Amino acid sequence: MARDTKAALAYIGPAMFVLLIVAALPLAVALATSTTNWHLHRAAQREFIGLANYIRLFGDPRFIYSLRVTLLYTAVSVGVSMVGGFVLALMMRRTFPGRNLVRALLTIPLIMTPVVSATMYRVFFYDADRGLFNWILGTLGLPTPVWVASWPMAFYAICIIQIWFMTPFVFLVCDAAMESLPREPFDAAKIDGAGYFQRIFRLVIPMMRDTLIFALIFRITIDYRMFDTIYVTTRGGPARYTEVMSVWVYNRALRSFDVGYANAGSVVMALVVALICLALMMYNYRRREAVS
Amino acid sequence: MSEQVRSVQRTRFIAPRVERSLITAGHALLVVATLVAALFPLFWVFLGSFKLPADVMRLPPVIIFEPTIANYLTVIRDRFVFFFENSVVISGGSVLLTIIVGVPAAYGLSRLRIRFKKTLMLLILSVRFAPYIIFALPLFLIMSELGLIGHRPSLVVVYTIINLPVVIWLMRAFFDDIPTELDEAAAIDGASRFRTFMSILIPCARPGIATVTILSFIFAWNEYLFALILSGRDSQTLTVGLTRFLGGMEDAIRWGQLSAWSVAIVAPIVILALLVNRHLRRGFTGGLG
Repeated sequence: MARDTKAALAYIGPAMFVLLIVAALPLAVALATSTTNWHLHRAAQREFIGLANYIRLFGDPRFIYSLRVTLLYTAVSVGVSMVGGFVLALMMRRTFPGRNLVRALLTIPLIMTPVVSATMYRVFFYDADRGLFNWILGTLGLPTPVWVASWPMAFYAICIIQIWFMTPFVFLVCDAAMESLPREPFDAAKIDGAGYFQRIFRLVIPMMRDTLIFALIFRITIDYRMFDTIYVTTRGGPARYTEVMSVWVYNRALRSFDVGYANAGSVVMALVVALICLALMMYNYRRREAVS
Repeated sequence: MSEQVRSVQRTRFIAPRVERSLITAGHALLVVATLVAALFPLFWVFLGSFKLPADVMRLPPVIIFEPTIANYLTVIRDRFVFFFENSVVISGGSVLLTIIVGVPAAYGLSRLRIRFKKTLMLLILSVRFAPYIIFALPLFLIMSELGLIGHRPSLVVVYTIINLPVVIWLMRAFFDDIPTELDEAAAIDGASRFRTFMSILIPCARPGIATVTILSFIFAWNEYLFALILSGRDSQTLTVGLTRFLGGMEDAIRWGQLSAWSVAIVAPIVILALLVNRHLRRGFTGGLG
């Protein structure tokens, strides 16, 4: 078969060149510098130190903690938003006047600038004395925590923002998938006397498996790398309790100037999420093979 | 018919008609509650932006108050235009660049016979899913070395990393949907590949290109990490400008301004997003979901 090599160069070449500059080159620099002791204040003494940074990472409690809190944050936020988005999509199966408008409005959190959302939550909702959350809690006679300045409330605070931000995404994906499900199996199941929940768990979820796995992978990668909302809300604090990986790398590089070490951290960070995604894709693939 | 079957099998404690209206009411309540949860923050910051310092953080919260545009006036005086211009130039420029290189690439990946097409597509996709900090920090090091921190054209190029993978994937799906018979007919008429691309495929894909442009603009506009690390002092965008307020903000005066600033950032993209709402999902997932 003839190959369109020349044409490929003309059409695909420019995009590849741009991606080479903005993605491949930085990746190479990240890998290269992760094997050096490059510190921005002692740039002159930059030396190759092999895998020493990686060894240091695994003996660094602060890094290990950061990895753990990132995974925990991702698990909580992804879990709640997956269930929430799925239930929302089910809710929207029922027709009612203004349904399409409601569907459109529900996606607003998703397109709102994350930095703005986080700022709003922090200032208007989480403020210890004048925030709306504590006002509501106080009015109900419940204890009023100092949200972003205490553990574990700071952790919940960043989870709440992320769940609010990302549940509409799961909703969108599930909504579209449900729209395209065939009707017949459901009618048949109904006639056979299957209850609502039985139909959901035995029919809807299995039929949507591919969509759900895709949404899951997508959600994991987004939360795992999240920087904006967390940095704005807590800056990784109180102390280092919400210092997720992106914030860890940022702090190591731009506050401690230990850039070689910081890059080693981001390489590990990328590897971990790549492994998680790969495992999920393999699982889905096996599942599909088993069915067919 | 199925309704009858069910009523036979289940013992009813309340009349079916009452049950149905109870379900309708419960459903309506849930829908309203969800809408409030989704929209309240935006509504609240919008109200806050028109409040006087005395009203903005008052408890219990006030919904009826004497509105003022003083916050917006202060924001405009507070170099808002500087940040706004940076955001427009950087987001707009990067979207333009993304479309110019991304659309032909998508065409190529849809129509040309090339080796490793699948691998290439997956590599492009992995950029979309990678933790951005692994690109942002090395870019900071490279750009510092070259003296490019805060240099607007460099930021325009860097910002393509957010949207180029999405544009390539989405536009390829669009081109795949256009029947190849069109290309073949044009080839028989003696049109070159470039001619076919420009005068047949691009016009066919125009709705797709419009959607992708708006979506890319939203994503670029919302960007914070790259802007924070790479914009130095001279090219700070609106998102970076907003977070300046979060330093030591103990005084209520700034909270009104902060709201006005937030509304000014979010208003254009909310309007744009409602315009392309039907395509939002594909935009977010790069046509995958």
